[in-house]
Amino acid sequence: MEDYKFLFKIVLVGNAGVGKTCLVRRFTQGLFPPGQGATIGVDFMIKTVEVEGEKIKLQIWDTAGQERFRSITQSYYRSAHALILVYDISCQPTFDCLPDWLREIQEYANSKVLKILVGNKTDRDDREIPTQIGEEFAKQHDMYFLETSAKEAENVERLFYEIAAELIGQARSKDGSSAAAAAAAQRQSEGSSIGLGSFSAKAAQSNCCGGLAGGGGGGSNGSNTSHTG
Amino acid sequence: MSDDLPDQFDLVVIGTGFIESCIAAAASRVGKSVLHLDHNEYYGDVWGSFTIDGLCDRLNKETGAHSTLRNCSYTWHSSEKEPEPEAMEVQGEQKWNRETMLAKSRRFSLDLCPRILYSSGELVQLLIKSNICRYAEFRAVDHVCMRHNGEIVSVPCSRSDVFNTKTLTIVEKRLLMKFLTACNDYGEDKCNEDSLAFRGRTFLEYLQAQRVTEKISSCVMQAIAMCGPNTSFEEGMQSTQRFLGSLGRYGNTPFLFPMYGCGELPQCFCRLCAVYGGIYCLKRTVDDIGLDENTKEFVLSSAGKTVRAKNVVSAPGYPPVSRDIEMKPHISRGLFVSASPLGNEELNKGGGGVNLLRLLDAESGREAILIQLSHYTGACPEGLYIFHLTTPAVSEDPASDLVAFTSQLFDPTGAEIIFSSYFTIATQSSRSTAGEHIYYTDAPTYELDYDAAIANARCIFGKLFADAEFLPRAPDPEEIVVDGEDPSALNEHSLPEDLRAQLKDMQQATQEMDIQD
Repeated sequence: MEDYKFLFKIVLVGNAGVGKTCLVRRFTQGLFPPGQGATIGVDFMIKTVEVEGEKIKLQIWDTAGQERFRSITQSYYRSAHALILVYDISCQPTFDCLPDWLREIQEYANSKVLKILVGNKTDRDDREIPTQIGEEFAKQHDMYFLETSAKEAENVERLFYEIAAELIGQARSKDGSSAAAAAAAQRQSEGSSIGLGSFSAKAAQSNCCGGLAGGGGGGSNGSNTSHTG
Repeated sequence: MSDDLPDQFDLVVIGTGFIESCIAAAASRVGKSVLHLDHNEYYGDVWGSFTIDGLCDRLNKETGAHSTLRNCSYTWHSSEKEPEPEAMEVQGEQKWNRETMLAKSRRFSLDLCPRILYSSGELVQLLIKSNICRYAEFRAVDHVCMRHNGEIVSVPCSRSDVFNTKTLTIVEKRLLMKFLTACNDYGEDKCNEDSLAFRGRTFLEYLQAQRVTEKISSCVMQAIAMCGPNTSFEEGMQSTQRFLGSLGRYGNTPFLFPMYGCGELPQCFCRLCAVYGGIYCLKRTVDDIGLDENTKEFVLSSAGKTVRAKNVVSAPGYPPVSRDIEMKPHISRGLFVSASPLGNEELNKGGGGVNLLRLLDAESGREAILIQLSHYTGACPEGLYIFHLTTPAVSEDPASDLVAFTSQLFDPTGAEIIFSSYFTIATQSSRSTAGEHIYYTDAPTYELDYDAAIANARCIFGKLFADAEFLPRAPDPEEIVVDGEDPSALNEHSLPEDLRAQLKDMQQATQEMDIQD
């Protein structure tokens, strides 16, 4: 069994072509796949990071192209701890769509989810949205804000590390005002979710199960909740 | 939004219900190009889950003779009575009525066609085998119940349940254990004389010959084997074994319910389809469909765009593609939201159980399935309970079909019921031959799990792509990340057949090594 103290689910949304997949791959693999189309067969990516001496596993989900015709499944937003809304700073329409995305987030995501607005592609010299405009929009809608370049690896690490740090803080405070804290608190109650993968005594006791992990996976994809060792 | 939709597909699937989504995922998974459309703005059609607002909207919609959903009605019950004092003991308890429920509309996931999953049933096995399980979470059903002497009681499922239950006497416990052990062993020793004698007779006769008490007989007939007086011995044995075979896997009972409702399940299949390149368009109607005689391809026009497809699969109720399918009532449904659960405290520990109850109407010999959901399934806010009642339709009036069962449970106009609704799920009146080579999926049939639905998806998939595997395992994301560019994950499709086979062998070998560790 892998050694980590927390597992957090992070989902990305935003228009097609703003660089969601590139952000994920830059962070998890250190790659920038140039001119890449829609990603086939890649579902979510995992990276374990260390923050404040704690090992944290980040599960980062991509839209699988369902954003192209605004048909993201509701279940995509389920049990996300953090949500990254991405636009392209060199493409006004991707910024103009943000209110639509917020409406969808409001409708489907947990109301306590941590929200981050990201203006990507700062390496481009044809910027259309000034930093300040993005910042103000984020402030108005109670979101964190960061500008990144997946191509130049600028602010990408920082983005995910800050999310991890924030989520840990929330999980520790356990005041119930955030998705992460709720997940942490829930683990102790009867309503906790655990992986169906392990047919363990623990599973039988708590009567509630997370994903049905596949045979031989060894619990690698099991629980959707944080894992206290 | 720019319409950069490709114009050529191996398969166009119309409707995002369970069976259609299953086929779309299976096709996409083996490398077929798939376009998946739905005229609704949500996933799942009649297999979907709805908010309270959404459900009312759906029930208000005009339904035609070709629609899968019909005879819809709903009522809000205003309670004049104040809640009873003992119900008030929880601090700051919310008072529930139409206004407070609508204010939390988003917290509801109300299924038109709720199901319960056997822990080692067809669907659970398929989800694990294909790795689609990573998109879903489940809640183990807390109690399997039966009605005995007018009361709802829990049926002991596991060995420890049998020993701990207060429902049965010690003698009854022994008899039940002995009986269940015999059922479990049946088939392993075919020469067992005791059971051979019952071939061709009814399961009830066999049960009675075991000299069980009336109470145990009810347990077995109502809740475990879930059969009737005329069920054959073999059939009863089979369903008992199915029940026993799903015990001890995830919870106290052999059953699971998907978190946030059954509407999550089609979405899981759609997600897999999309991950493998399937294209999704909700809110998109097909305006016209025709067959190009030269190329034998379908030509579909949708929103001013023409798309060509080698194959088309459609759900019933999606004109013009499925326009001539006659529909007849198949399932009568009742959906109730209440502020108090059914049964005693024992059945509703910690704020409400997720319970399954099979009801019988002695007079007509009909049955109904009741699923009680609490907030633990994520399907409603804390303090509310959903009762899903399902019975095979005998008329076009779902309320009158269900009255024999609702009267056993609650006063449908009583104070504790806040919302009630009735509707009919219709199905094809005759099995449509694949007209013009469009494959039509079945409407939801009356069943507890998804066995028939999966069989239907498998069958259509087999006709479309005879040699392809149905939903092989999708690699884990971690298999991709660990080695950076893991060929098994990223380029599996582009590999030639023999290399793929090699890769599979290697994966198998690695897995076996893991086990030895």
